Amino acid sequence: MANFASIASHARYALPQGLPLKIAVLAVIGILIAAPLARILFDTLAPETISAWRDVVVSPLSRNLLWVPLSNTLILGVVVAGGCVLIGGFLAWLVVMTDVPFRRTIGLLATLPFMIPSFATALAWTSLFRNSRMGGQTGYLEGLGLSIPDWLSWGMTPTLIVLTAHYYALAFTVIAAALATVNSDLVEAAQMAGAKRGRIFMGIILPVALPAIVAGASLTFAGAVSNFAAPALLGLPVRMQTMATRLFGMIEIGQTARGYVIAILLIVVSAVFLWFGNRVISGRRSYATITGKGGRAKRFELGAARYPLFALAGTICFLTTVVPVVVLIASSLAPSSSALFSNWTLHYWTGLSTPSIAQGQAGVLHNPFIVSATTTTVALGVVVAIVGSVLGLMIAFTLARHRSGFLSGAINQLAFLPLLVPGIAFGAAYIALFGAPVGPFPALYGTFTLLVIAGTAYLVPFSVQTGRAVIQQVSGNLDESARLTGAGFLRRMIAITIPLASRGLAAGSLIIFVKIMRDLSLVVLLFTPTTPVLSVLAYRYASEGFAQFANAITVVILVISIAATLLANRLQAKSQPWLKN
Amino acid sequence: MITISNLTKSFGTFDAVKSVSLSVPKGAFLVLVGPSGCGKSTILRMLAGLEKPTGGTIAFNDKTVSDGERGWTIEPSQRDAGLVFQSYALWPHMTVSGNVEWPLKVARMPSAERKARVHEVLTLLDIETLGARYPSEISGGQQQRVAIARMIAPKPGILLFDEPLSNLDAKLRIEMRTELLRVHRATGATSVYVTHDQVEAMTMASHVAVLKDGRIEQFGAPGDLVAAPRTAFVATFVGTPPANLIVVEPAGDGRIAFAGEVLPAGFALDRPAQAMFRPENLGVSDRPGARTIALEFAEASPVAGRVMITGTRGDLRLTAVVNDAPKFAPGDSVHFAIPETPAALYAPGGELLA
Repeated sequence: MANFASIASHARYALPQGLPLKIAVLAVIGILIAAPLARILFDTLAPETISAWRDVVVSPLSRNLLWVPLSNTLILGVVVAGGCVLIGGFLAWLVVMTDVPFRRTIGLLATLPFMIPSFATALAWTSLFRNSRMGGQTGYLEGLGLSIPDWLSWGMTPTLIVLTAHYYALAFTVIAAALATVNSDLVEAAQMAGAKRGRIFMGIILPVALPAIVAGASLTFAGAVSNFAAPALLGLPVRMQTMATRLFGMIEIGQTARGYVIAILLIVVSAVFLWFGNRVISGRRSYATITGKGGRAKRFELGAARYPLFALAGTICFLTTVVPVVVLIASSLAPSSSALFSNWTLHYWTGLSTPSIAQGQAGVLHNPFIVSATTTTVALGVVVAIVGSVLGLMIAFTLARHRSGFLSGAINQLAFLPLLVPGIAFGAAYIALFGAPVGPFPALYGTFTLLVIAGTAYLVPFSVQTGRAVIQQVSGNLDESARLTGAGFLRRMIAITIPLASRGLAAGSLIIFVKIMRDLSLVVLLFTPTTPVLSVLAYRYASEGFAQFANAITVVILVISIAATLLANRLQAKSQPWLKN
Repeated sequence: MITISNLTKSFGTFDAVKSVSLSVPKGAFLVLVGPSGCGKSTILRMLAGLEKPTGGTIAFNDKTVSDGERGWTIEPSQRDAGLVFQSYALWPHMTVSGNVEWPLKVARMPSAERKARVHEVLTLLDIETLGARYPSEISGGQQQRVAIARMIAPKPGILLFDEPLSNLDAKLRIEMRTELLRVHRATGATSVYVTHDQVEAMTMASHVAVLKDGRIEQFGAPGDLVAAPRTAFVATFVGTPPANLIVVEPAGDGRIAFAGEVLPAGFALDRPAQAMFRPENLGVSDRPGARTIALEFAEASPVAGRVMITGTRGDLRLTAVVNDAPKFAPGDSVHFAIPETPAALYAPGGELLA
């Protein structure tokens, strides 16, 4: 049987196996990702702009242009990635492998911070911790009479805290998905050997989950170094520059060449770390732990530590989900952020234009611009989630099945490239490439299509990375056995791979939707009045001092994101009944 | 020696194991056999200490290791027992040697002794050349051997097997059966083996417990089970091929209806029952006779110089093993000759009638 099948497959493919697939995938992501980035590079190499390299790297300006922002960026990346893996991994272990009480609730809460835009968390932080240094309104804690030191109010510390509080959910999602596929037999076999909990954790669970942990670390590192909103809102007021904010500043003041140079250097710097992470993952043997033989789920008994650990997890979730949301809602209702829970008014939501409040701005529900922005944003999220998931699955599948070879390496590198590119630079690259007509195709600037293409391309790493941890775990045997039945590639994807990987896929499209909903840095340059999106509106309100309107819009984003998550959770539970206890 | 007394396990309202009692001496090879869902794996997991009984006790060598009444059980590792999982549960990130060595490391065996023991068990299982490979790089049969090597490396007094051969092909299964028995004898340990395959049970066991719906139907030596099945279920479950059961009813005048057909009978019957006939006692013909029942031909196969013929009619399925038989084609009628007296009689509920 097996011999016939292999002979047949040799006969069918005159080309090396998987080559057409690889070429197709490479072509798509080449256009989506490589072309705009190549455009940035060539723009800085043009004769009239090449001097920007010297200005940035070796000139009296370079300390401020590059070196200080670079060290700040690295501190952010390393500390945030470490914190996220610790917190996200801890919560994932607790939810997936132990008998901690309310683990489903913790599991849901631990995914929520990712739905809260990082600029929203940053705004919530300022609503609480802002001190009088910058003038204007002070935060709630100063309103209570506490004195908030500058280091807690502005700069590195709050940025680190806000980014960790935001990105740990990503590490949680990836690590939890991997832990969920660890066959409980593996743990029981270790129990039979007499290993204590700590030994089982260090000797079995951690090594098996290591690819996912590395994936989580590399994702959160990349997220932190390319994040624009949090350092912009918390760092810029005290002149703390990261490479992302420096790049934004350069492009804002029209020095695009210098901005592009910084973008390229940021890509190079981050590439070292991600290259290392990828090596760790792809250098390892794949652990096919889904074997098609049902292992029953048995949980670690935490014993006396059950409630203390629950309290710890609950506190983490509470501080990173409930507190920012409550602060946002309260500050969308309170005229003064130093008295968040007093004099509440619905004016910022439903009020009509009154010259005495907020320079005559009408409440968000009366603003037609905001209503149309909501429609555009949701449509964008849905389209990008679908297109991105399909593309991400194709790429992850291609990489999992054909891991070696030049083309696979190229696909891998390209697919993860957007991680290293600050959204703002990616947006600029898209304008550079698609702002003018390309051949027979019209200019796309200002169209919904451009937003979709840019969003899909930008989020490819996330759809690939989250799907990948899962698809790698789906044993090759299962696909091969389907192959023996004569099922074609598409049929096998639909009947075998997708159902088995649907938890990871649902998580992936969820992340894409939510990321697009809350994205600021990518769309801030692609934004035009014909394609309004909510996050940019919120950011504009915030930077113009209308914190209440900004927070009201952010609440709208939150409601849509959370509703989407709950829906996705329902669908997942329905589609995989065998995962229930 | 293993003693199980009134062992009970409930999951919520579902009773998976209902008051099971049995005892086997040291060195025994106990096989728990039964259809899926009969509770055999749950018993094994309780023996391993992975599940706590909700009632009854388990004792190894007169030392109680689990007590359901007191909700108390000794840690899996303190029970001097090893378990081979159905999925093998080889740790994917460790080499073959690493898998075998890790439990010894956990048990703090000195390094030199450990290496020697790893080499010893790998050699015993004939996989000493695979030490540096990873589980994903070796075949299913080899993975099976690694799982066994890993279990016996710490020299447990009790070997537990959870359907270990169910993922292997037929030839390998027979080979591994012999291999397992060899390991069992080489270690001198007491083994408990769970399977749904009665052939495995009959060939390997010194003691067999046939389970159904969480209860023991019969416990004894393989030969005893075939010679004197105590319930109708056991009669149709064990033996190769298993015995035939025919529903019989009194039909007046001392005559008896066999599956609806009235035939002269050599025994007395006053109420409906199930009559057991061994395959070797049935005759087969292509034309009706004095004491025959006609069934539709189902299959025939040569067995050790004889012919095994099976016919079906509705729920009734009869298998005969005869020296010689006419050629049948699908659709033909096979006339099974029924002996005058059955080997045993069971009540409609399955109990043996004296």
